[in-house]
Amino acid sequence: MAVNKKVRQFFFPSFTPQFLIRVSVIALFAYLFFGHIFTPLLIQGHSMEPTYRDGGVNFCWKWRYLFSKPKRHEVVGVRFAGSKVMLLKRVIALEGERVEFRHGKLFVDEKEMDEPYVRYPCSWNLPPRQVEKDCVYVVGDNRNMPIENHVFGQASMKRIVGVPLW
Amino acid sequence: MVRFKNIIVGALVVVIGIGVTIYFFPSEEKKIKKQFRLLAEWVSKDPGENTFTMAYKVRNIGTLFDGTCEFKIPVYSFSGSYTPEEISGYAARGRLFCSQLYLKFYDLVIVFPEKGVAKVTLTAKLTGKSNVGEYIDETHELEFVLKKIEKRWPFSKLEVVEVLKK
Repeated sequence: MAVNKKVRQFFFPSFTPQFLIRVSVIALFAYLFFGHIFTPLLIQGHSMEPTYRDGGVNFCWKWRYLFSKPKRHEVVGVRFAGSKVMLLKRVIALEGERVEFRHGKLFVDEKEMDEPYVRYPCSWNLPPRQVEKDCVYVVGDNRNMPIENHVFGQASMKRIVGVPLW
Repeated sequence: MVRFKNIIVGALVVVIGIGVTIYFFPSEEKKIKKQFRLLAEWVSKDPGENTFTMAYKVRNIGTLFDGTCEFKIPVYSFSGSYTPEEISGYAARGRLFCSQLYLKFYDLVIVFPEKGVAKVTLTAKLTGKSNVGEYIDETHELEFVLKKIEKRWPFSKLEVVEVLKK
């Protein structure tokens, strides 16, 4: 009987001031946590395959770059439109560096870079270009498509919103 | 009792007065938002849209724009200044390629850099289906400039924000 009462109390609690305070605190915590620290994200598209697949679910850790800057080979979220749409891309070059693709191979400052995360064949050619101040150069992992069809390039640091949690 | 009744009636009159004022004398922001609502409505196309609706919508799209509106849409290689008639023509041609089309605007941020000028940043989402059955799903951040002309706010500039610069 006592268990029954406890179960009922758990699912249908009385609206006491303590209960309302508890609910408010949980709601505020959830809003801050999921709205400003770990934002849920649904991956759409194939540009980061095979690392991240279309339809996958993840969280964006928004405080990752609070006291640091993105490093090469890190996957970052780039704010694309409004506050809800972001691009998931990998940082391949930092500000001031010269980035270039020769027959699918990435060169940064004339040095060929090892990219173990690129699994699909790539034949891209991109003339060298310098990454501007306060910017990073980002590309997707799936380069098995014509270079014209892949969304990549230099992004302002201001648009980097965080990193995927896993 | 009579006094309480008078207070209630007085409060109701004030509330109705505020409502009427807001409805009949909309703020500048509200007028601008209406422009976007109309643009979204007239660009959108339901399956099986009849000729009269199509003609009505296409003709009206042009009325939302200034005498010459500047476009800068590098993703579609569409740039230059166009008259309302030209814009209606392009819209008509674009809509003909689609069996259904839906334009929605989100995250509107309106600022007034100077008197009679409004700058709006927003997210535009275009979805639909082409006549050959291909799905359309495009999202972009756009920047609009609107100039006030005789209580109207026609669009005078439209630019797609380039997030990634190749």
